[in-house]
Order: sequence, then C-alpha cells, then structure tokens
Amino acid sequence: MWTWNNLWHWAGHPLSWPGFVGMLVGAVVILLLALLVVMYSIYWQRKFIGWMQWRIGPNRVGPWGLFQTVADVLKLLVKEDVIPANVDRTLFLLAPIFAFVPAFLVLSIIPFSAHHVFTANIGIGALFYVAISAITIHGVMLGGWSSNNKWALIGGMRSAAQMLSYEVPLGMSIVGVVLMAGTLNLNGIIAAQMHTVWYVIPQILGFIVFVIAGTAEMNRTPFDLPDAESELVGGYHVEYSGFRFAFFMLTEYVYLLAMGGLMATLFFGGWAGPFLPGWLWFAIKIFIFFTFQFWLQATLPRIRQDQMMSFSWKLLLPLALANLVITAVVKVLV
Amino acid sequence: MFGFLKGLGVTISQLPKKKVTVMYPEEKPDYPERYRGVHRFIPELCTVCNQCARICPTSCISLSGSRDENRKLRIETYDINFDICILCSQCTEVCPTEAIVMSDTFELASYTRDDFYLDMHWLHNNELEYERRHPDRAIPETDVQKKAGN
Amino acid sequence: MALTDETDLVRTEEMLLNVGPQHPSTHGVFRMVVKISGETIIEAEPVIGYLHRGTEKLAENLQYSQCIPYTDRLDYVSAMLNNYSLVHAVEEAMGLEIPDRAEYIRVITMEMNRLASHLIFFGTYLLDLGAMTPFLYAFEEREKIIDMFNELCGARITYNYMRVGGVKFDTTPGWLEQVDAFVKRMKGEMVKYRQLVTGNEIFLARVHGVGAYTTEQALGHGMSGINLRCTGYNWDLRKKKPYSIYDRFDWDVPLGSAGDCWDRYILHMEEMEQSLRIVEQALQQIQPGPVMAKVPKLIRVPAGEYYSGIEGTRGELGFYIVSDGKDKPYRLKIRRPSFENLQILPIILKGVPVADMVAILGSIDPVMGEVDA
Repeated sequence: MWTWNNLWHWAGHPLSWPGFVGMLVGAVVILLLALLVVMYSIYWQRKFIGWMQWRIGPNRVGPWGLFQTVADVLKLLVKEDVIPANVDRTLFLLAPIFAFVPAFLVLSIIPFSAHHVFTANIGIGALFYVAISAITIHGVMLGGWSSNNKWALIGGMRSAAQMLSYEVPLGMSIVGVVLMAGTLNLNGIIAAQMHTVWYVIPQILGFIVFVIAGTAEMNRTPFDLPDAESELVGGYHVEYSGFRFAFFMLTEYVYLLAMGGLMATLFFGGWAGPFLPGWLWFAIKIFIFFTFQFWLQATLPRIRQDQMMSFSWKLLLPLALANLVITAVVKVLV
Repeated sequence: MFGFLKGLGVTISQLPKKKVTVMYPEEKPDYPERYRGVHRFIPELCTVCNQCARICPTSCISLSGSRDENRKLRIETYDINFDICILCSQCTEVCPTEAIVMSDTFELASYTRDDFYLDMHWLHNNELEYERRHPDRAIPETDVQKKAGN
Repeated sequence: MALTDETDLVRTEEMLLNVGPQHPSTHGVFRMVVKISGETIIEAEPVIGYLHRGTEKLAENLQYSQCIPYTDRLDYVSAMLNNYSLVHAVEEAMGLEIPDRAEYIRVITMEMNRLASHLIFFGTYLLDLGAMTPFLYAFEEREKIIDMFNELCGARITYNYMRVGGVKFDTTPGWLEQVDAFVKRMKGEMVKYRQLVTGNEIFLARVHGVGAYTTEQALGHGMSGINLRCTGYNWDLRKKKPYSIYDRFDWDVPLGSAGDCWDRYILHMEEMEQSLRIVEQALQQIQPGPVMAKVPKLIRVPAGEYYSGIEGTRGELGFYIVSDGKDKPYRLKIRRPSFENLQILPIILKGVPVADMVAILGSIDPVMGEVDA
C-alpha cells in the first residue's frame, strides 16, 4: 500500500514508481543545492580571504559581486573543450566523472535536517561516506596519469599517496564516534548526542585527527600539495580546461560541503540545536567549518610531501588509534 | 609548539582593517607632479635645439624645424616613437625652455603599433589635457610668451 | 634468478622535467632542466638568458648619464642601488666631491629600496611555500615605499634618480616626514610578520636545514650578500669597504650560521630592521643644502680602468668601467650578484625533493633582469 510516507522512507519498502520519482527529485534537489552552496562558498572564500588581505574581493558582477561565481561557472561551461593531442583519451574523459560522481554520492547520506527529506537514511552512513569518498582518488590519479603531462603525473601521484594515507586516520577517528554512539547511522549518531553532549568534547582527540585528516583528504591548505600552484603549476588538473576542469573544481568544493556536513553530524550534534530550525543549525555549523577552512588557507604555508606522509603515519594514525582504545576502554568501564 | 595559532590570530585580526583596493577604472590613482607619464609638448616654447633628440638613450625622438620670417627657428614636426621610449625623462631634463615635459598620462595600452607613434599634434593635445586636469600646475600664459620670446 | 635488490623488482626510470621559463616560482624567465627520480632531484641544470638585453654592449654607445636608465632595468626591484652603483663608479673615477645632503638622500632611498626588495623576497618566498597572505601584506608596505619614490623621482620602479654628482631632485616638502612615519609604521609591521610567519611550524619545517652550503662553497662560487652571510662569513661592503656615508651610522651586520634557507630568510628579515635603523639615523642627521655637485655638462671619465662595488640587495653589485677618456665607456662590465649567486644551484639542488626546489631557488632570491642583464 503506497502512502505519501513511503515517498520519503523508501529504504524499507520495495521500489515503486512514485518512490523512484521521489528519489530522482531528491537527487536533483541535492545536486542543485550542492551547486548553489559550491558557488557561494567560492564567493565567500574569495570575500573572506580578501578581507583578511586588505582587499575587498569580488565586487564587479552583480551587487557586491554576488554573481561573480555564477559568471565564472558559465564561462567554464561555454569554454572550448580542449583535449590535448597526446592524452589517453578514454581515461582523460573518464577521470573528471570518476572524481565528481562520488563527491555527489556521499551527499546522499548527509542528514541536512531532522527528517531525511531528500537524502537516504541508511544504517551504515558513516561507513558509506568513507567507502565512496575513496573512489575520488581514482579520478584524480587517472586525471594525472592520462594527461600525459609530467606536472599532472607528479600531482596525481602525490594526490594518491596523500588521500590514501589520510583515509586511514580519518576512518579511525570516525570509529571513535561510532563506538560512543553505538551506531553507524548518522541520524542515530545525532540522536545519541542529543541525550548527552556534543561528541567534540569527549572525542576531542578524535576531532583533531578528523579535522587534520579531513583537510588533507580535501587537498586544502596546508595539504594542497596535489595542486600546489607554485610547484606543480596546478597539479593533476593542469591539462584540463572548460567544464572538465569545472568538474574537478566542483568535486573539491562539494567535498568541502560533505566533509563539513559529516563533521557537524559526528561532532557537533548535526541539525540539533535550540530555537532555530534544524536545517539552519546545520547550515550554520557547515558555514563555520567553511570559514575555518578558508581561514587556514589564508594563513598557512604548504607542508612538504615527505613531512606530510610521516605526519600521517607517525602522528595522526597513532593518535587516532589511541583515541580508539581510550574510547573503547571508557565505554566498557562506564 | 603552537606558533601557527599566532599566525591565525594575525590574519583574523586584519578583518576589520581598512581595505586598500583602488577601484581602478572609476577611481584613478593621483600621481604626483614629478610623475613621468607620456610626454606633453608645448610647440611655442621649442627652440629646435635638438638636445632632447641627442640625449635620448633610445633615440626615439625625431624633430625638424625651419626659420620663419624673423629668422627664428620654429618647430615643424616633433615625433616620439613610443614603442622604444623608456620614460627616463632625460629629454625634459636637458630641454632649456621646458617645451617637452612629462605628464601623468599613464594608460599606454593600444591595439596597434601605429598608436605609439606620437606626433606633435598628439603631444600638444596631451599638454592641453594635462592643463585641464591640473589647472594649478599649468604654466601661466604670460610665462609661455616670455619664454618663447627669449 | 634470485631477486637481490629492490630495484630489480620494478624497472624505474628517471624523468626529465622542464621547469620554466614560464613557471610561477622561477621568479621571472628562468629555466631549470631537472632530472627527477620519483620526487627526488638527481641533477639540475639552470638555463639562463631569456631576459638578455645586452645592457653592457648598449652602454658602449651611450654617454654615462644615458646609461643610468638602463641600470634601472637590471635588478628591477632595487633600481636605486643599481643607479647608485653606476654613478658611484663614475664619481670615484672622476674624483668628485658629493654634497652631504645628496649623500643622505641617496642612503635613505637606497635603504628604503633595500627594504622594498626584501619585502618582495618575503612575500614571494612565502608564496612559493604556499602561503598567500604574507605576499599581500608585504606588497602593501612596498607600495607605500614605491609611492614615496614616485613622489620623489616620478617613477615607481625605474627611478633614474641618481646623477653623477648627486641626485636629480631635492626632496619634496614633507617627504622626509613621510619616510619617518613609514619607518615607525614598518616597525610594527615587522612584529606582525614575525607572528604570522617566523613562528609557524610548517614554515620552520620547510626551511630548516634545506639548501645548506658551506662558506667555502659560497666563496668558491663567488657568492655575496645574504647568500654569503648566511654561512656565517662576515662580509658586508658597507662595513668592510665603507662607501658613501655608511660609516656615520650605527648598525649591525646580521649573520647566519648554517647556510640554509632558514638563515637566508631570517637574515632578510633582520636586514630589513637594520635598514630601518639606518634610515632612522639618516633622517635625524640630514641637513638642508645642495643636492648636486659641480659637474661638467659632458661627463668624461679619465682614461683607465675603474671598479667600484657596493653592497646591493643581493650581494656585491659592481660596475667595472674601462674608459679611453671619452664621454662613453669603452667597456662597461657589470658584476651582477644574482648571476653569481645562482651558480651554486646545481650543487645544492642535487638530492632534494621537488618541493624543496622552489624553496631553495626562492631563498637565493635571484632577479632575472640582473642575471641575464
């Protein structure tokens, strides 16, 4: 028996046409939401960093430059699609898709509000995120490899090494939260935090590991080695232009959104908060995460490849493991 | 250990600082009187002494003149090849009557090379423009006549 | 067949990587051909000449005063010092007496220009290392210096300000007060730079022990300036062979010890502070007076060979004049410190990671206009 209810709670029911349409609508809405957020997060990045550097940032297109990123995106979309002569054509065309599809996929489990209106309420949410986001590495690596460009190759190689080695502490830091909440379901984790405190307090060690590993995972400053502009002149996407480049760009910022959502969910109680509606709380928490990332970007120099690797394996991973052990022990004792 | 936190403090504390951006095409920088922009030329003052053409390190100035009925030299053509001018201002330094001076015109971009061939007409127009922009810096009419009379 | 060595497992190849001439971190049109194995540089070969304009040859057909604008274009971030080095060489050769005020103005402008140049080093070096904001802070301060120079001599980069026998203009009214206000402001800014960059752990990890060389190596390659002093060798021409009026001021020569990127960075920062000290004292001592000595209209250097070097921003900047008594030099040889400093690059780049390549190149602080002349 079909009711309006199983349009939004389709996971527990057999697939039906209205349910399928509902999924499609949900996916499109999330896609548009992500695009909008990406556009204005880039705008906010340029404004915020500009203010810290005594500049005023974008100010020409639209009032206060509000349409600057829209114009940039339009420019990228209508640009000539250049495919260099000696690239591995198939992989070159596939790489942006490999990078960008998982970025949108992980959004499907982020609980933007108390009810999973447009996203999926699956039981293994946290695991799903880590698993799907790992696919992006292939896109970046293939992009670097297939470009037939030495800079892109080094960028892709660095990127693979970096994302692989930071995946591990990232996953380990999430396990601490999962242990405390007793569930992998993201909404379940939020619910568990509503009974106690935000997990950022008991899981402070895990939180620090998560933020550092997450920053590295997103290739953001100070871990922006794969596209280190002053060394690799752009890194893995140096040969890409037009909308293929836009895909890589989009991937980067959608991950920023997803990682912000994941962090808010795991450590800051997600959509939960007094007075304001849930989606607004979620937006505020993600906004703060964005601002923090841009703040780092404005301040810090880039870390070196070998230092970055040893930092992950020799410091972050032991920290994450220690956090895991402490959490487990405390959980058993209390 | 946490030296980078200090750095974060520095960057965030700059947020309310006054912005230094100049909104360029609408708001032009105000260049001082000594600024060496494109030349301006006052034909009445020129004595065709050829010193500017001789001192020019890149030989970008060419000029010609003839004697009028009073046996006085009058300038006829005065061209600056702005392709090779390096704006060193040596010509204005040697000019005995200040007939060639620098202005604060600084927008030099153009689509063709021909636009960089500045003739006397252009340079004189530049002078008139300059006087219009800076009425306080213009040489009084009487002074021009006095100098030209010498 | 037994696999004894790890290298037998996978066949690896070295890769030839062309860095530049259009690369954001080569500070101009500099090219390096590096052979890399993984991320490690095995061999590096600098290729120069992309900005060669033949200044030395051009000078043979120019009068001495006409040469001055060309020196602006050698080390284009510290043109005042280039101007001075040429006119100083000519003045030495002619035995001219320079008015006091002219010397003071020269010292103030030169030290301010050194400051501006070091600010560029600070900004671009941090940009090479991936930090964006210090660049904009540094350039804003440099902008203030440049604006003051603009008011003084009418140009922002190519000053053409020094003349044989003095300087082109006296200061405008209120200019010295502007400089004074700037010096006070700059002292506060230096504190900010320290907080922003010097204490940053990531920065420290990037520069400590990177690109080190010994005093012997530095001397062997004819290095000078900060690139020599970072090894602990006390050699500053302003102290060792005082020219102009540098002996009237109280200031120190900062010295390094390890000869690595960190030493070079911190010496730049300390030299900025010393420059501020010199400017401050010069502002107190400067007196009104003429700014131009009595010089003949056509400058003729007596026949002979003359060399005079000054402590440029990047090292010993020298002009070697061969004169046959005419108004034009028979031969003008310019000792450009960046060119000399760059020669050590293939040696210190051997065995370092690619990421350190830009850190090392940036710390040597070459200016391509000077390297290629």
